[in-house]
Amino acid sequence: MTDLAFYTLSALAIWSGWRVFRVDSMIRATFALMVSFIAVGGIALLMSAEFIGVATVFMMAVEMMVMALFMVMFMMNPAGLNPMRMVHQYGLSIGAGFAAFVGLTVAVLTTNLPNNPLPAGRDTLRDLGIELLGQSMLIFETAGVTLLATMVGAVVLSSRGGRFGDTNEGAVPPGLHPGGAPAGRKVETGGGHGGHGGHGAHAGHDMIMEDADVKDVDTHQSHDEAETDEPAAANDEHAGHTHHTATSDPTSDKIAPGDPHKTHGTEH
Amino acid sequence: MNFVLVLPAMIAALALGIWVAAILDATCRSLVAGQGRMSLTAAAPLRAAASYMSRQRLTTEAPDRMNWFLSIASYLALAAIGLAMVPLGPNTAVIGISTSVVLWGACESLVVVVVFLHGWSPNSPLALIGAYRYVAIGLPVMLLSMFVLIAAALPARSLDLREIVTSQAGMWNVLRQPLGLPLFLFLGLSLTLRGPFDYADSADLAGGTSVEDSGADRAGWQVARLAMLVGFSAMAATVFLGGYLGPVLPGAVWLILKTLAVMAVVIALSHLLARMPVARMLGLIWKVLLPLSFVDLLWAGLAALP
Repeated sequence: MTDLAFYTLSALAIWSGWRVFRVDSMIRATFALMVSFIAVGGIALLMSAEFIGVATVFMMAVEMMVMALFMVMFMMNPAGLNPMRMVHQYGLSIGAGFAAFVGLTVAVLTTNLPNNPLPAGRDTLRDLGIELLGQSMLIFETAGVTLLATMVGAVVLSSRGGRFGDTNEGAVPPGLHPGGAPAGRKVETGGGHGGHGGHGAHAGHDMIMEDADVKDVDTHQSHDEAETDEPAAANDEHAGHTHHTATSDPTSDKIAPGDPHKTHGTEH
Repeated sequence: MNFVLVLPAMIAALALGIWVAAILDATCRSLVAGQGRMSLTAAAPLRAAASYMSRQRLTTEAPDRMNWFLSIASYLALAAIGLAMVPLGPNTAVIGISTSVVLWGACESLVVVVVFLHGWSPNSPLALIGAYRYVAIGLPVMLLSMFVLIAAALPARSLDLREIVTSQAGMWNVLRQPLGLPLFLFLGLSLTLRGPFDYADSADLAGGTSVEDSGADRAGWQVARLAMLVGFSAMAATVFLGGYLGPVLPGAVWLILKTLAVMAVVIALSHLLARMPVARMLGLIWKVLLPLSFVDLLWAGLAALP
């Protein structure tokens, strides 16, 4: 039973650790790493390290949440849903990974691992506390102060007065030529149907259609009904639109020229 | 007691608790709104759940389906784990582990992760804003609950909830550490996404992280929120109100009565307390509530000195 739990948790730890490098989003990678650490915490529980095992779960949940937040803050990919490549510097990382694997394997195989079962009724929690605040106090306090300094540094980096000036100024891209106006898309002012879907909406709509036909039928019934009135030969979407306004159908006002559902209907 | 008997009893208690919490919540809402006690019908929560379950599930453009589902399921699971740690009598708990207070802390921190993922996965702006807001509020509130729980563990000289209950035989922690329970109730509001601490699912974001939930997903998320309320109330009753301790009546009855009392208080608070902007709430938590939890810890530590 314990063996089964150990192998399951080990497999989960290795699989989710591998997923960290295969997924295409920072958030997914972060929480895959968290699952890996939680599985390791479960293995610690199996070894009767009740405090270390549970504390690992606790710490990793908080730590990965904060890490995800900081990564998103620094990487300017606010949702983390945009696909991005999570691996780079292949040569170096392959070398480092290989060296680490060989080193750890040699260390595990050559170490004389202890094999002394815990005596029944031994209070490991008390032992751990005495160790932490006794002989190893200096080590842990040093690590603690170092981590605190790192945290203060991270907060300073992410605060308003950053390296590139005050963030209240707004994140304006540099000009195309020295001293020029900021590059990039200008925000369009004025109403109209500007935000009502372009090519991105077409692609997304087609993608969702594959697995959510039911939803589409329900929510866009008014569009579908409107389209059945249309002449079947209305290949030109503009023509279709004018047809609607001519008949002064109340639903036609809601159908914009670039409406993705309508184009979808006319394509077939 | 036999594990085979206790586990189904716990699941039944959780289901019953969710139902009672839904009725209490609806009653409190209509009382605060001045509508009298109109909505106090026992079948209303069941009808609402059935109505959600029978609707179809809508989806968004390019969601992360796996994390969406996992966040809802994990929220419910974390609530069940919390309830399972509550001792039902001396040396009796479904999850009997010597570091159960730390395990509850792990559940709290995983709730922040789960609520964040629930808002992140649908790939929808309002849900994402709710998710980020919740992380900003949820993490410091969780910190203050850690200090309060460590203070409660000090007189017991143990991180085991069973020991914490036995240590309250003379005096309950709510009297011994008067700052503890009020601060812990704020954590309850934050864990269950309620009232002034609800920065994830609130109405100003049209439902926040659950704005894209529909059909069974929506029913599942609301049930998980209420389940977390049940788990939290049982935990608060155990840590601060002496759990199963009490005269005459059997221990389980005392535990249920205290759990219901805490649940009623949390629901009332969620409807009565005023909401605040995120920045002001962050100021309140970091500048007022966290120092108060330090005072609570210092108080408990000095009192526990031999």
